[in-house]
Amino acid sequence: MPEPETIVAIRNLSKVYSQGEIQVTALNNISLDIARGEFLTLMGPSGSGKSTLLHIIAGIDRPTSGECRVQGVNVTQLNESELADWRNQNVGFVFQTFNLIPVLTAFENVELPLLLTKLSRKQRQQLVSTALEIVGLADRSHHLPRQLSGGQEQRVAIARALVTDPSLVVADEPTGNLDSHSAQEVLTVLQSLSRTANKTVIMVTHDPKAAAYGSRSIHLEKGELSN
Amino acid sequence: MSIGTFIIKNALRNKRRATLSILSVAVSLFLLVFLLVTLRELTLPPEDVGAALRVAVRNKISIANLLPAKQLPAIERVPGVEAVTPFTWYGGRYQNEEGMTFAQFAMDARKLRSVFGEAKMSQPEYEAFETIKDSCIIGKVTAEKYKLKIGDRLTLDSTVYPCTLTFRIVGIYAGTTDDRNMLFHQEYLDDACDNAGWVGMWWLRVSTPDDMPRVIAAVNKAFENTSAEVRAESERAFQLSFISMLGNVRVLIGSISSVVVFTLILVSASTMSMAVRERFRELAILKAIGFRRRELFAFILAESFGLAMAGLLLGAGGAWLLFTNGKIFAAICFGITAIIVGSSVMTIVRRHYSSGVTGLLVAALVARIGLWAFQNPTISKMTNGFFITFEVTPKIVGIAAIVAAGLGIISSIAPAFSVARMSVVSGLKTLD
Repeated sequence: MPEPETIVAIRNLSKVYSQGEIQVTALNNISLDIARGEFLTLMGPSGSGKSTLLHIIAGIDRPTSGECRVQGVNVTQLNESELADWRNQNVGFVFQTFNLIPVLTAFENVELPLLLTKLSRKQRQQLVSTALEIVGLADRSHHLPRQLSGGQEQRVAIARALVTDPSLVVADEPTGNLDSHSAQEVLTVLQSLSRTANKTVIMVTHDPKAAAYGSRSIHLEKGELSN
Repeated sequence: MSIGTFIIKNALRNKRRATLSILSVAVSLFLLVFLLVTLRELTLPPEDVGAALRVAVRNKISIANLLPAKQLPAIERVPGVEAVTPFTWYGGRYQNEEGMTFAQFAMDARKLRSVFGEAKMSQPEYEAFETIKDSCIIGKVTAEKYKLKIGDRLTLDSTVYPCTLTFRIVGIYAGTTDDRNMLFHQEYLDDACDNAGWVGMWWLRVSTPDDMPRVIAAVNKAFENTSAEVRAESERAFQLSFISMLGNVRVLIGSISSVVVFTLILVSASTMSMAVRERFRELAILKAIGFRRRELFAFILAESFGLAMAGLLLGAGGAWLLFTNGKIFAAICFGITAIIVGSSVMTIVRRHYSSGVTGLLVAALVARIGLWAFQNPTISKMTNGFFITFEVTPKIVGIAAIVAAGLGIISSIAPAFSVARMSVVSGLKTLD
């Protein structure tokens, strides 16, 4: 069986926050490899550094030291503008509070990342429709977020994360605001992304039941990997 | 969806705030345009050819001080002077009208054509005016306003002289920049009001524009160290000094305009800051999914600019329409009233009583403005004849557009910088 391709390679990664004279270590010398198609769950108590690690991998935060390579690109070395382009092409985000734009329909919310590309209107429409079909919301495309349930909103957020066909999908407590039924639907979608579309999904969660959907789970404790 | 649609949807997400913002910009720009047009009209230099050749001579102490009639020969002798006429303000009150009506001046009727050649009448009217001592001529605007015609008798109580004069209208002139005045014989005033020997001021016509500086200097010098020193000046300089007697109008209007613009900037900047701050989280999401600082800056700038431009369209456009065609303005007001009434009734039906009643009150206000514009469709009627023209010139619209554009840019700077500085992570932590 061939060795799975490493998509994320983290070496000696540390993050220290300065709060006046006090220094808080959020991540301490983390090294980690994540394979393509893996559904990795990051678990740990509050303040353990799991969200910080996720943010650094996704290129929305910078480490104090160490290296984070995603598909061979050292994201810690990119400038703001390069990072923005890189995120648009390589990362899909799913957040706990959905974070859809309230004045845009589900379709328009999903289309948003594509506005930065050179795709034609027709091509964009096709990609958005496909993404909404994957999450099972093709029939809700013209609904505003307030007309959708929490689970549906989160599935729209997943469609928005998928629409640019990123290699990496990061999800920060995506089921934190959902009832168990909706949470199950969302986790199933994320799992299928990993299994059928070979996307690498990294999910932060407190919930062991949610973590069970992943192919691998790692725990952080006080900024360090605990096992 | 295009980027433009996205910006418009964002700008209009809070419709009430967007409407109020646009209206605050519109009302302020309307006021600014009104002030600028007022200033222009008050200080407008005379544009007719005659004005370039006319010199006004008044008492150096004050325009209210009379000049001795015996100065006339000395002025006539000044090289370059073609014609001279006295010009004495009568201060008559028409019927029982209070406030400003129209001005009446006594002059030498035979000098009308040479000094005020742009006041056009038919030949019989000129001749009648020159020969009949108690005759008068009136401007077309005044004739229309008071429905006066040739042959009518006109009795005016003077507020300056202790007399009441009755005039016979023999001509109605037109063609000056201000066809409102009434002109009559100085001789009639002198005899009827026992005023012999005094005139209000002199108006003279010089041969060529090149003669003007020399004539002004010579006339001023001719009466130096006499009991009635004079101040001679060009018509434009005279008008400006006349206006300045109202106070420093330019500074006053400039100050009010500056306050309007400054207040407008504060209001817009505060609105934009609020609008951006309450969607910090969304902007952080946009950053996360790949929008760059300059794109977010462009969004905020476009939104702010768009609101300011909508205000410009309403404010400056409304001013232009109101001052040039009051009936169309009125029709638009009535249209808006109908829309507001319709939506307010629907609001009340949906049991949102306070919003519905507020809407009806706004509709009543708009309808009242429309009615007023309909009843006073010209600036002359709106200002009771104070202004004849009230032109919203391209330059004034340009100034309003520059103010609006500056407003859009300035009010977007602070929120745009705070968004640029914001990290995605801190933006995501912002509470909704």
